[in-house]
Amino acid sequence: MMIEAHQTTAGFKATIGLELHVQLLAAQKLFSAASAKWNEPPNTNVNVADAGFPGALPQLNPECVQLAARAILALDGQIQQRSAFDRKHYFYADQPLGYQITQQHHPIGRGGYVDLGSLDGLEYVKRIGIHQLQLEQDTAKSIHGVYPGHVLVDLNRAGVALIEIVSKPDVDTADEAVMYVRKMQNLLRHIGVSNCNMEEGSLRCDVNVSVYRDGEDRLSGTRCELKNLNSLKVIRGAVNAEISRQIAVVQRGDNVEQETRGYDAQSDTTFVTRTKEAAPDYRYMPEPDVPEIHINESWITRLRKTLPETPEAVMSRMMPQYGLVQEDVETMLGEPGCTAFFEQAVVGRDPKRVLSWITSEVFGQLAYRSQRLVGSSLTVPQFTQIIDALSSDAITSGQAKQLLIEFMDGEQRTIDELIAAHGWEVISDDGKLRVISKQLLDTHPKEVARYLKGQTRRLNFFVGKLMQATNGQAKPQNASEIMKELLEARR
Amino acid sequence: MQLLLTRIKLNRLRPVCRYSTPSLNDTYEAISVHNPRLNALPHIHPLDPTQEVNGPLSGWSFAVKSNIASPLPTTCASSMLSSYTSPFSATAVTKLEHAGARMIGTSNMDEFGMGSLNQSSVHGPAHNLHPENGNVLHSPGGSSGGSAAAVAARMCRVALGSDTGGSVRLPASWCGVVGFKPSYGRVSRYGLVSYASSLDSVGILARSTQDIRHTFNIISAPDPHDMTCMSKSLRSRIDTLCASREWISHNTIASEPLKGVRVGVPSEFWVDELSPSAIDAWKRGAAKLESLGCDVIPVSLPHTPHTLPAYYTLALAEASSNLARFDGIRFGTRHPPTQSTRASLKYAQTRTMGFGDEVKRRILLGTFVMSARAYENYYLPSQRIRRLVQREFNRIFAMPNALCTTNTKTDARNVDKVDAILFPTATDTAPVQGSNNGLSAYVNDVMTVSANMAGIPAISVPFGLCEGMPLGLQIAAQYGDDDLVLRIARHLESQPA
Repeated sequence: MMIEAHQTTAGFKATIGLELHVQLLAAQKLFSAASAKWNEPPNTNVNVADAGFPGALPQLNPECVQLAARAILALDGQIQQRSAFDRKHYFYADQPLGYQITQQHHPIGRGGYVDLGSLDGLEYVKRIGIHQLQLEQDTAKSIHGVYPGHVLVDLNRAGVALIEIVSKPDVDTADEAVMYVRKMQNLLRHIGVSNCNMEEGSLRCDVNVSVYRDGEDRLSGTRCELKNLNSLKVIRGAVNAEISRQIAVVQRGDNVEQETRGYDAQSDTTFVTRTKEAAPDYRYMPEPDVPEIHINESWITRLRKTLPETPEAVMSRMMPQYGLVQEDVETMLGEPGCTAFFEQAVVGRDPKRVLSWITSEVFGQLAYRSQRLVGSSLTVPQFTQIIDALSSDAITSGQAKQLLIEFMDGEQRTIDELIAAHGWEVISDDGKLRVISKQLLDTHPKEVARYLKGQTRRLNFFVGKLMQATNGQAKPQNASEIMKELLEARR
Repeated sequence: MQLLLTRIKLNRLRPVCRYSTPSLNDTYEAISVHNPRLNALPHIHPLDPTQEVNGPLSGWSFAVKSNIASPLPTTCASSMLSSYTSPFSATAVTKLEHAGARMIGTSNMDEFGMGSLNQSSVHGPAHNLHPENGNVLHSPGGSSGGSAAAVAARMCRVALGSDTGGSVRLPASWCGVVGFKPSYGRVSRYGLVSYASSLDSVGILARSTQDIRHTFNIISAPDPHDMTCMSKSLRSRIDTLCASREWISHNTIASEPLKGVRVGVPSEFWVDELSPSAIDAWKRGAAKLESLGCDVIPVSLPHTPHTLPAYYTLALAEASSNLARFDGIRFGTRHPPTQSTRASLKYAQTRTMGFGDEVKRRILLGTFVMSARAYENYYLPSQRIRRLVQREFNRIFAMPNALCTTNTKTDARNVDKVDAILFPTATDTAPVQGSNNGLSAYVNDVMTVSANMAGIPAISVPFGLCEGMPLGLQIAAQYGDDDLVLRIARHLESQPA
């Protein structure tokens, strides 16, 4: 990669740290009972506490604490038995209270790590440490540029629970940064903590970048913060552009200024959005309306038991166990509940066929319905019955797809009832087929003659006619065998 | 007509009476007679005889301080909220209504609770009923001046107030009524517009301690809406701690109803500003408690002199935070910006026009002490002083602080420890309204802020008149010992001074 070459030949390296803001999958907000559902009509999920009405008070949602704790355990961090909230003050249209309730000084989670390796696309092994994980409120959404001179404010998002995951500055390259984010997405989706969807805003990423001369202290460079990076591609572009920029600054003898910068994909450069002087003083203060959170060992133990296997563990186990490749397992890991579904369905069946039906047919149907596997009406028995019926040629591929659609539409009847209802029973009675076949041979003497003269492809004509006559319910293999037998008999 | 005149005359001549129970008609009559002069109730609920709820407080009338959410406008005596009505009611208000009491109006106050004189209010200043035959209008105290004046003038049976640094007790002592600040967390703050969240408490004003107690029993309860409100289990544990004090018995002889109770007189409250009448009342109060069976001994709270500046630092810091939400965007009076400015300055005009001078002064000071440079020099040391003040109270009180221990039993009595303390509520009686300015207004809080800093229950009980102006004595006790405070207060008030 060009950037890698630049770094080593110029004698510079980069130090990168990431702050991920992750929206939790809790039904309600962090400190209010209003719904946390995404994409609802503006200002419909707002409660007096979210809007900062006088006399309203925050009420901590225990589900959010639980989700944050799950994330900490999955990252092998330490759940703090005592944690507390702070107020971070600043005036802005998207901050109705004039402050955000966050956990700057006493976060709920400390430590932990994410390992990157070959399964993530890295040729070497790398551990990215986590500094802390804190619970905090999301801001409202402010929309500029729709009405000139006005800012539109939608309070639906105000108060939704976030966890901010602050990494240690262990990342060295843009590629590693992207892999870290992707890994975090997979992990948090897998344990049901967040959708981690950058387009929807349930995952937002800020990156801190500094450079240093090879041989010097990793932390000796001045760091700049890159904000509003809204896709993995943008993260990669922005980090590389910033590294280049900082190296150029240092090379010409200037100092890198501590700034907040954004990224312009078109010009592939970063630009200043806020200088150090303009950085606000947040006047952190302990949050007096919310007492400390106290968590005991037995609660942590119980929670740990509810955590599923990590994606790595699933990957390492399933690949050899079922003869799958990494991509296969990754695809399944991307859909919560899918690996479990697969493992139940695959017992006594061909893993490749089960996999293929899940990832093409079932996923296709889910996408069409904008559904998730968990919560769809398809059950494992329904799925396996389709596979079995198909494998035993009781139904055709087309019929199997049809049945899948019906089950996913909520069909409650059994597969046998459906086959009967559709009139799809396969005619396997050879006697019946022979009778029909003989009739066909009798009514098409010219074709028979052609076959006997050597045009053996006329067999297909008769098989086709037989299928037509039986409404497609003859087993194609049977039909072919019988027809051939009868034709040969007429020599 | 003749009868009406006589009744009015009698009301004016009678000293502050503690046991009468006027009907709602009397209430509205008192309002029409006194409110124009006292300006105690900016909003009055029309009399509606059809709405009757049966409950323990049936027939009771109550006023609600303008910073407590209710069906009437919650103005906080500020231009910012002059036409604001809350979409929800405070827990305390709802509980009183369910108990059968009737809200008769909102009461005047210092804007956003910031003041001790009820002088800065969008509704105009409130005035003291006393001196009853005088012409010069005196301050009723603040910030719950309207509530105190209304209760004193019999415009209502009880009133809700808020006490952050003495705002219920000071006006109570100046108006000659009882003012109670329960332990922090006894009464839900849901619906109380926050001034300083860790110091605020909903308080009760009434003409008798029995009325206070009945009201307290209704509004003191757990509330999931307020995370700082005492849980059921904490209340239980405190009850056990209280009951395990073997030396305090409820079966005492009539002549010594407080036998076994030890009351401390904290020497550091003898400040230079104390007037001779306050000192005299203090001495007479101590003597009276002795006659009721108490042991009265001197105690020391060495950090008392540091408490007032620490209180103001912390209160103003929290206030600057709690008032950040007033921007005119989602509620309240909006003043459009005078020029096209950055997003963060779009509400500057609303806040400049909407807040009074005292509120702006306190917000600016509070913002300053929270700023990066000043935090270490002002805010943190004040928090440390607060911790020391709490520890000092824990050292002198025999009952342990339930928040600092998991004990369920109070240890055997230590000779140096006390069960309650006695000290004046104010350094002097009420000043003439409009005469006070500058720092002297802040000094009025010196006798009351310690109880807020430590979260302990404190009550002001009327204890006589000085040149026609009432003054009160304070009783305070360990965190959670509200019952003992009310019990001592009952006996302190029962005989005329």
